Amino acid sequence: MSNAAKSHQHTLTIHTRHEAVAIERLLQVTRYRGFTLAGLELKPLADLTGLLITLSVVSDKPISLLVNQLNKLYDVLDLELHQAEAGALRA
Amino acid sequence: MTGAELVVKLLTEHGVHSVFGYPGGAIMPIYDALYQSPVKHYLCRHEQGGGFSAIGYARASGQTGVCLATSGPGATNLITALADALLDSVPVVAITGQVSQAVAGTDAFQEVDVLGLSLTCTKHSFYVRDVADLAATLREAFLLAQSGRPGPVLVDIPKDVQLAPVDYQPLHLTTATAAPDCSGLATQIAAARTLLQQAQKPMAYIGGGVHMADALPELNAFLTATGMPSVTTLKAMGSVEKANPLYLGMLGMHGTQAANIAVQQTDLLVCLGARFDDRVTGNLKKFAPEAKVIHIDIDPAEINKLRAADVAMLGDLKALLPVMAVAGDYSAWQAHCSALKQQHGWRYDHPGERIFAPLLLKQLSERMPDNSVVSCDVGQHQMWVAQHMRFNSPRNHLSSGGLGTMGFGLPAAIGAKISRPQDTSVLVTGDGSFMMNVQELATIKRFRLPVKIVVIDNQRLGMVKQWQQLFFAGRYSETDLSDNPDFVSLAAAFAIPGHSISHKDEVESALDAMFSWPGPYLLHVRIDETDNVWPLVPPGAANHDMMTDLPQWEE
Ligand SMILES: Cc1ncc(C[n+]2csc(CCOP(=O)(O)OP(=O)(O)O)c2C)c(N)n1
Ligand SMILES: [Mg+2]
Repeated sequence: MSNAAKSHQHTLTIHTRHEAVAIERLLQVTRYRGFTLAGLELKPLADLTGLLITLSVVSDKPISLLVNQLNKLYDVLDLELHQAEAGALRA
Repeated sequence: MTGAELVVKLLTEHGVHSVFGYPGGAIMPIYDALYQSPVKHYLCRHEQGGGFSAIGYARASGQTGVCLATSGPGATNLITALADALLDSVPVVAITGQVSQAVAGTDAFQEVDVLGLSLTCTKHSFYVRDVADLAATLREAFLLAQSGRPGPVLVDIPKDVQLAPVDYQPLHLTTATAAPDCSGLATQIAAARTLLQQAQKPMAYIGGGVHMADALPELNAFLTATGMPSVTTLKAMGSVEKANPLYLGMLGMHGTQAANIAVQQTDLLVCLGARFDDRVTGNLKKFAPEAKVIHIDIDPAEINKLRAADVAMLGDLKALLPVMAVAGDYSAWQAHCSALKQQHGWRYDHPGERIFAPLLLKQLSERMPDNSVVSCDVGQHQMWVAQHMRFNSPRNHLSSGGLGTMGFGLPAAIGAKISRPQDTSVLVTGDGSFMMNVQELATIKRFRLPVKIVVIDNQRLGMVKQWQQLFFAGRYSETDLSDNPDFVSLAAAFAIPGHSISHKDEVESALDAMFSWPGPYLLHVRIDETDNVWPLVPPGAANHDMMTDLPQWEE
């Protein structure tokens, strides 16, 4: 597929409030904005004040489109994009 | 007090005097607290009507609208209104009752996962587990609805939380709001000013974000100082002062020819609180192809979403517009834009005796009292309202833009009348749309709301019919409404007087009769089902490739 050649994988680490709804929103926005889920890990912070989430996505769209939307979510407290892992996928 | 009483207390704390809703089992404690309370409750006849009335209230006044519904079907009926508020950035707080936590998650009677259901059509939704969090959650909801890019927020409150005892702690509001600051944007401002100086053919593309930032005076000063021509989106109609000779009207699918042609030619598009919606841009790749773009918005997710900006600024238009006011010499471009406007003015000559809706709406616009609020529904009549009526503020033109929701108009006109009782509330609706929330005539009847209803009746789902005619080989699938009810009798059933007209020479006296009648009134206007909305940018085309109905218009 020609699209796959242009697809990139990106990894985000996201700190959210300790609410299940935070994960629901992350997944809803990821799907709706056209990013494919490539990985999801989460664990509560030691003091249970939040969740630490590692989200990997694949898309041919600029990752800024997703980052900007996720940053707007009420339960997202902090978000970091890992440029180092954002290599092109060769199909 | 109880949680329910605290809800009412907090509404008062936020200056909410009117709410729209419908009671039911899971919200009964809140309705009990509303009984004989200072907050006036307007009983709508469908929760969707309540949601749209809250939107109309908010859009006409700039305040936050509030609507209430019970769990299950009450809450699901609100969803369309929440989606409408999200797409048009309207501050609304929806409060829903929920089943008690003791039975939560058991598929209890009228239990639906309202939090889950509403999340994608709100800025955020809250579920209140503990009455101790209720006040903070409601305060947060009001703040969130109004802040940044406004929008709807839902608070779902289980019945046990409504019944639980709690103390009210007044909030000591700090009134000192920080003056908008744009010092962090010095580089972008300098770059934008350079682009403005270099431009030969700049164009301001104005969206709903400008009036929502309360920046209309700054906008008009900016347009005057720069001498830049301007166009507006559907939501921003009424933003540019009537006296501005270089305002070219609405752009986009049913925009003016002058606006669409000039935007295609501009070399610098100054996008202010707008979002390059597909109804605005037509074929995005071919939209304003020569233009550099300055984009100013409060929502970071709108920058570079659809069209890359050469200079982007995330900030408050009220602070940014004054520092961007660089005067340029655009005289040749101004003359060109004026000529386009002259050349492509609206034509109101129309053969035959039958009523021509564009002319009727122009007459309505000229005859309605100053500062009337016009709500409309969705379809051809909606586009004719935008094209042929003039507004002196976007708060006077309530139209469902982003979601394009039929059934919006009647409840929105009710909300507008309640938020601005001193102003006239006019509804322009279609024979299709009107039926979608027609039950709200009962709300008008109960509260004797003097809403002026104009039904533009083409006996068709006209906008869909137009597309079938143009793009589906005239196969008119399910768009015939020729068995419409008798609208005047329908109004009469709700004690609303009305009158039906079908000839041009009846229009002026009928409009006068409607406005001189002190109460609600329905004017039923029969038009020809073959009348269509022009111009039209067909799907996939660039905005300068407009279809116009020239044969009918040329004498
Ligand atoms: C809730 C909803 N359902 C369907 C549509 C699709 N739709 C858009 S315009 C239209 C026709 C509207 O008919 P009417 O209110 O009579 O207005 P007209 O176009 O005839 O002026 C329809 C069905 C919509 N916008 N909203
Ligand atoms: Mg119709």
